[in-house]
Amino acid sequence: MNLSAGRSPGDTSRAADAAVRARGLRVVRGARTVLDDFDLDVRQGTLTGLLGPSGSGKSTLMRAIVGVQRVAGGAVDVLGRPAGAKVLRDRVGYVTQEPAVYGDLTIRQNLRYFARVLGAPRSDVDRVIDQVQLGSHADHLVSRLSGGQRSRVSLATALLGTPELIVLDEPTVGLDPVLRVELWGLFHRIVEAGATLLVSSHVMDEAERCERLVLLREGSLLADDTLPNLLERTGTGDAEQAFLKLIEQADNGMRTP
Amino acid sequence: MNASTTDERPAGRDERSGSGPTAVSALAAGTRAELLRLRKWPVVWVLVSVWLMLNLTFAYVFNYIAYATESGNFATEGNPRAALLEDVLPEAIPRIFTTGMPMFGGAIMMILGALAAGSGYGWGTWKTVLTQGPSRLATFGGMLAAVAGTVVAVIAITLVADLAASTLITVSESEPIVWPDLAALAEAAGSGLLIFGMWASAGVLIGVLTRSPAVAIGLGLVWSLVVENLLRSVSGLISGLNYVTDVMPGTSAGSLAGAQGAVPGAEGDGAPGVLTVLDGGSAALLLVGYIAVFTVVAAALVRRRDLV
Repeated sequence: MNLSAGRSPGDTSRAADAAVRARGLRVVRGARTVLDDFDLDVRQGTLTGLLGPSGSGKSTLMRAIVGVQRVAGGAVDVLGRPAGAKVLRDRVGYVTQEPAVYGDLTIRQNLRYFARVLGAPRSDVDRVIDQVQLGSHADHLVSRLSGGQRSRVSLATALLGTPELIVLDEPTVGLDPVLRVELWGLFHRIVEAGATLLVSSHVMDEAERCERLVLLREGSLLADDTLPNLLERTGTGDAEQAFLKLIEQADNGMRTP
Repeated sequence: MNASTTDERPAGRDERSGSGPTAVSALAAGTRAELLRLRKWPVVWVLVSVWLMLNLTFAYVFNYIAYATESGNFATEGNPRAALLEDVLPEAIPRIFTTGMPMFGGAIMMILGALAAGSGYGWGTWKTVLTQGPSRLATFGGMLAAVAGTVVAVIAITLVADLAASTLITVSESEPIVWPDLAALAEAAGSGLLIFGMWASAGVLIGVLTRSPAVAIGLGLVWSLVVENLLRSVSGLISGLNYVTDVMPGTSAGSLAGAQGAVPGAEGDGAPGVLTVLDGGSAALLLVGYIAVFTVVAAALVRRRDLV
């Protein structure tokens, strides 16, 4: 189900420069339909937040965008190509919720490994270690790091090379507030340099750090707009209240014949 | 955007042309990456060290101690002391080189293969490299090449260790050094490569099938150390079962070692896993076939299967 009314006017004009364009996307996992007739546009060069409660379909949508999710219907285009196309492999960075790095190698060894696989220059290793602020731990085994540090090592792998679209699944989970602020600062700097970031979170507080918000609920698109527009449309004071209001409006809309 | 923000932009991956990296360069990149991983991995060094210790201990140390102390424990009929010394001299290397490989060495190589393939699933790293690497097959091929390279290195190190140990014994016993026949030595090394290669590729396949290093190692060890031996032991009881057991991976590996001159375990003082069921040529062909089947099936699974 797709609530296209949640998208602000004029958005269709952005289709041409969309980093991600999904139309009629349907994903079924087991007996459950996770996403159904789902449309989405993510403009290039934006920091888009994919927000919604756990189980709303955020990770599934991200997997479909990266091309590692079997889809039952519809289409997803990424940077003008079908999601998962070979030519996108070095243009899309993806970090899963669970850190995806070798625990029995050091941070530097992990990044050297990924740099070799991805064809990134060796100089990238030190750059991304600095970016995620793990320079003082660079030669520590990943298994001995805290959960937040492991997440940042995983994030660093997505920063190797020149990904044009970086998809981050809940990258700030488990991080302390100071680090979260620093990471959001890093995300903005990456976007300012020209990349597109799609960042998921179930923490509504993080909405204010995104240029654009995609709100999901039970596999449906609840809204795709900027935070100021959402607050204005819903007449609320913060993202959480706006989210609740949108749910209420959607429920009322479904009940109204 | 100010100057400092520009620095945050990733610097650029190699070969970012429209066509992307070639299959060969992608395979080379994957191989270099996996070699780095295996080289930096403490468990690989532990496995190689355990194999070398086992090999030196059972092939040289125990036999030499038995010879030097005139212990009868390892003696056979005839001239036991002379036979014990013959086994630990350089000339005997082609005969004894593969003795410990079909069972103990093979199990270690299977663990290596299972870890190399399975740990990528265990740590979740295959998701990244298979979606963002040059191609699934090139990345997986790089892992296979790195495992193969490690097997070659282990065989080479084993050969050097055997030469060093036997030379040391020869000198200490003031015996004349008689070097092994080069062709026979090359055949023994080739046999070792086939035996270890088969078990390592079996480990890779089980690692891919189970997507878990722990489960892969457990299942692989049960198969190589228990199931095959049990099946072979009951093959005489069930009509036709021997047609299956005679061509199983462990039988092929054991037969190739037996064809090189290693003493079969059934002869009392022989090595476990060494057999004389097949002739050397048939055993070698079967091992080549197993390596091909295991790697092709594993590659097909990696290429086609959905990522977790």
